[in-house]
Amino acid sequence: MAEPELLLDSNIRLWVVLPIVFITFLVGVIRHYVSILLQSDKKLTLEQVSDSQILIRSRILRENGKYIPKQSFLMRKFYFNNQEDGFFKNTKRKVVPPSPMTDPSMLTDMMKGNVTNVLPMILIGGWINWTFSGFVTTKVPFPLTLRFKPMLQQGIELLSLDASWVSSASWYFLNVFGLRSMYSLILGQDNGADQSRIMQEQMSGAAMAMPADTNKAFKAEWEALELTDHQWALENIEEELMSRELDLDGMFSKELPTGIF
Amino acid sequence: GHYCLDINVLIIVFTEMRDKLRKWREDNHRNSEQIVDVGEELINEHASKLGDDIWIIYEQVMIAALDCSRDDLAWTCLQELKKQFPGSQRVKRLAGMRLEALEKYEDASKQYDSILQDDPTNTAARKRKISILKAQGKSAEAIRELNEYLEQFVGDQEAWHELSELYINEHDYGKAAFCLEELMMTNPHNHLYCEQYAEVKYTQGGLENLELSRKYFAQALKLNNGNMRALFGLYMSASHIAASPKVNATVKKANVKYAAWATNQINRAYQVTKTNQLPVEELLLRSS
Repeated sequence: MAEPELLLDSNIRLWVVLPIVFITFLVGVIRHYVSILLQSDKKLTLEQVSDSQILIRSRILRENGKYIPKQSFLMRKFYFNNQEDGFFKNTKRKVVPPSPMTDPSMLTDMMKGNVTNVLPMILIGGWINWTFSGFVTTKVPFPLTLRFKPMLQQGIELLSLDASWVSSASWYFLNVFGLRSMYSLILGQDNGADQSRIMQEQMSGAAMAMPADTNKAFKAEWEALELTDHQWALENIEEELMSRELDLDGMFSKELPTGIF
Repeated sequence: GHYCLDINVLIIVFTEMRDKLRKWREDNHRNSEQIVDVGEELINEHASKLGDDIWIIYEQVMIAALDCSRDDLAWTCLQELKKQFPGSQRVKRLAGMRLEALEKYEDASKQYDSILQDDPTNTAARKRKISILKAQGKSAEAIRELNEYLEQFVGDQEAWHELSELYINEHDYGKAAFCLEELMMTNPHNHLYCEQYAEVKYTQGGLENLELSRKYFAQALKLNNGNMRALFGLYMSASHIAASPKVNATVKKANVKYAAWATNQINRAYQVTKTNQLPVEELLLRSS
C-alpha cells in the first residue's frame, strides 16, 4: 500500500526546523560556559596527593621491579608489606564516604549539575512544544510503530498519520543528542554542553564504588605486591647484548647541538 | 666548538623565532644565552604579534635571563607578568627565583614561605627552598629537606635525581644507588640512569657491586648502542673482575670474554670515527 507523501510547507523548514537547531546549539554553548563558571575548585589535600603517589610507586614496583637488583626489590617489598610495620599493613586513613548527607560540597555539585543540565532541557523542551505546536515538523527516515505516536506527535490529533512524522518537540530532542559532535568540534573534547555524556556519567557514577576509599586501595596493593616475584630482567644481559655487533651507525658523524652557552 | 652565538638566529623571520622558543620550551633545553637573544628581540620588536603566547615567553626568557645575569631583562619580564597576573603563585615563584639569582636568600625564602601558606601542596616552592640550601652549600640540610619532601611526593622524579646527585657529592653511594633505582623503575628505557647506576656501583667497589655494575653497563648499551661511556664501563668492570684473585676460573673466563668483546666494539667505533666513512672491509661485510 503506497503511503501518500506529505508535502510540508517550506515555511516550516525556514521558521521551525532551522530555529530549533539554532536554539539548541546556542543553549548548549551557554550551558558549557555556565558550567565553567560554576565549577567548584577541587582542592586535594596533601595526604591525598601523597597517597596517590604512593600507590603509583607500588604499582611501578610490581611492574618494573624486574629492572632493579633482587635485593633492592625485596627491600622495597618488605617496606610496603612487612607483617609488623609495613606501610600498607599499618597505615589506616580516616575515610569519609562522600555521600550527599555528610559532604555539603557534593550536594551543591549535584544541584549545580541538575540546574545546568536537566532544568534547561525540560524548560526549553516545554517552551518549544508550546510555541511550535499543531503541525508536523519533519519525518524520521525510518518507519516507526503506532506506539510512538503519542510520544512523538504531541499536539497533532491525526489518527491516520504515519508515526514517522514527528512534532517539533521531538525534533528538539533529536537535536540535543545530535549536536554532540558539533560541540566537540567547537568547544573541544571535555565540554559542558555534552548532554548525553553527562547522563552517561551520572548512570555509571552511581554504579561504580566511590574511588576515594584509600584503605581499600592500600589493601588491594598489598595483595598484589605479595603475589609479585622478582624476575630479574638483566639475568642474561651479557649474552643478549653480545649476540650481535653494536650498531655504531651515525656515531660522531654529525655535529651535536651545543650545551648551555 | 659552537658556543659563540649563531648569527643566523637573528636574521630569521619572526615565526621561526617564536617556533624555536616553543621547541626549546617543550624540550626543556637550558640554552639560556640563545633564549635570551631570541626572546629579547621577540619581546622588543614583535610583542604585538605574539598574542597570548607572550606571557609564557616572558616566563621562559626571564628564567634564561637569570642564568645569564641579565637582571635588567629579568626585571622587565617580571613586571609585565606581575601586571597581568597579580597574586599569581607562579609569578611569585619567579620573583623568588630572581631574589635567589641576586643571592638574597632570606628574602627568597620568605617569598616561597608565603606561597606555601596559601597552598601547602605547592611543590615548586618547596623545591626552590631546597635549591637555596644547596646554593648556600648546606648539603646536609638540603639532603634532609629533600628526603622529607620525597616522603610526601614519592613520585617526583626530578627530586629523586637531585637527591642522587647530592648523595654522590657526599660520597654516600649506597643511598645514591637507591635513588637511581627509583628512577630506573619509572624510566626503564632510559639508558643514562642505567649508566649512572652502574658507575655508582663501580665506585662502591667489591666483587658483588662490580658484577652489578657490569650488568647495568650492559643494559645501558642494550638500550643505546652508542653510549660510549657504558662501553668503556663494561670493559673496565669486566677486566676488574677477571683480574680479581677471588673469582673462580669459569667466572674469570667469562669476564675475559666480555672484556674482549668490549675492546672489539671500541675499536670498531674508533675506526668509524677516524675516517668518518666506513672502511672497505665493513662495506664488504655489510653487502654480504
